Amino acid sequence: MARNTRVLAALAALSLVVAACGGSSDSSDTTAAAGGSLELVKDGSLTVCSDAPYEPFEFQAEDGTWTGFDMDVMRKIAEANDLELEVTVQPFDGIWLAPAAGKCDVVASSMTITEERTQAADFTDSYFDAFQSLLVRKADAETYTSLESLAGKTIAVQTGTTGETYANENAKDSKIQSFDEASAMFLALESGQVDAVLQDYLINKERADKQGTSAVSVKFEETPEQYGFAVEKGNTALLQILNKGIQDLRDSGDYDTIYNKYFIG
Amino acid sequence: MALSKRQRAKYTRYAIYVLSVVAIVAMALLVDWTRLSNAMFKWEIVKKQFPDILTGAAKNTVIFTILGFAGGLSFGLLFALMRLSTIRPYRWLAATYIEIFRGIPLLVTLLALGFGIPIATGWNWPNPYLQGAIPLALVASAYMAETIRAGIEAVPKGQMEAARSLGMSYPRAMITIVIPQALRIIIPPLTNEFVLLIKDTSLISVLGVTQATKDLARFGRDGVNSTANATPLIVAGLVYLAMTLPLTQLVAYMERRAKAAGK
Repeated sequence: MARNTRVLAALAALSLVVAACGGSSDSSDTTAAAGGSLELVKDGSLTVCSDAPYEPFEFQAEDGTWTGFDMDVMRKIAEANDLELEVTVQPFDGIWLAPAAGKCDVVASSMTITEERTQAADFTDSYFDAFQSLLVRKADAETYTSLESLAGKTIAVQTGTTGETYANENAKDSKIQSFDEASAMFLALESGQVDAVLQDYLINKERADKQGTSAVSVKFEETPEQYGFAVEKGNTALLQILNKGIQDLRDSGDYDTIYNKYFIG
Repeated sequence: MALSKRQRAKYTRYAIYVLSVVAIVAMALLVDWTRLSNAMFKWEIVKKQFPDILTGAAKNTVIFTILGFAGGLSFGLLFALMRLSTIRPYRWLAATYIEIFRGIPLLVTLLALGFGIPIATGWNWPNPYLQGAIPLALVASAYMAETIRAGIEAVPKGQMEAARSLGMSYPRAMITIVIPQALRIIIPPLTNEFVLLIKDTSLISVLGVTQATKDLARFGRDGVNSTANATPLIVAGLVYLAMTLPLTQLVAYMERRAKAAGK
């Protein structure tokens, strides 16, 4: 809890400075009040923060529409509530604080629900089960089949992710190189700067399937993680809408349709 | 009542003073200082940044900057001389290089060279410092080439002519007569370049960082994440300032001296 109040204080202080300098005062009251009625960053829209591209969960189709598993789920929930889906791209590091900073209403970014993050934001029920995995160059697929086999090698992780935490805890003999975005990790792997990319299985798998020069060598099935959407702490109005939305999608079969679209078809 | 020009100027100045004071006081009252210092300058977090911020992060920033500057200066000098050459292809080559590297954002150059070269050639960067510093040096050299060229052109033509008429070859006259005088002219803009480079090193972290190669800005950002407080970023900013302030002061001093000596 102590940490959480510090974060909020930091954000509040920052917005205060902004307000003092800019002479405007709209930066602190725009997010929803605790337990009250639904208030949105932008009227008529469900504004979503996401660290995109992160295929197949959040990316832009060629015509610019936001697609991917998270985006489809969000759009369905928005539509059910007569809202437009609006997407704001944010770096993943600390993204769960974005709603508290008034940048968006909800974070949908393949984000695992963790102890630390729930101290700073409220999470919906889990909507997806995920696993960490290793992506390696095709030639190394038989060599790097465990974290032990990567001793002395370099592993790429994304800053602020559960993959980074996992690597720091379980790959102590490897050199861990952290990146701001997923796309840079793939480039680093293909250019030989790193020997493996440790991150969520389905993202690695998508890259391997699409690119053809890399392969997923390990899926860490013994450590499952749950994805959730995050809202500002205390924003129960929105949290209820989202939880109901997820449940409705599961009940109506739309959830399976979206799932099959990205992970089976 | 008609005011004279001078009176009007005086009252306007007083009005600006009063407004500034009001603005500063209003800001001081509006900002909740304890909250601000709690969020952005917490003493115990400040202390925790040391000594790592100096022995690790600041050291890396200095290494990147010095490599970038040394490389930029040598290539910059080369391209400046090429641009001033009487041989046309040299001039074209240098002009093309300068336009390309000056026109493309450093971030793009970093990604394109840092990852692109190994992907295209199979050759691998021998160490992460070079991977970051060489793109930085290439971009810096494009800017510095123009600065150096302007400096060389600012040396009176008579210097070159006199040297040549004494029997010196063109390269010899350039190296011993013209370039030393040009350097004195361009030291202030070059120092400016150096300060810009210090700050540009903060982009290198897009290539990925390990615990050992983190630069100052990245160190601060990671600190914000791990402490859930903005203090580490503020401390990083202050360390940048501690590096750049002596340099800018040095330039100011050198400029004063040059002015005194030149007149």
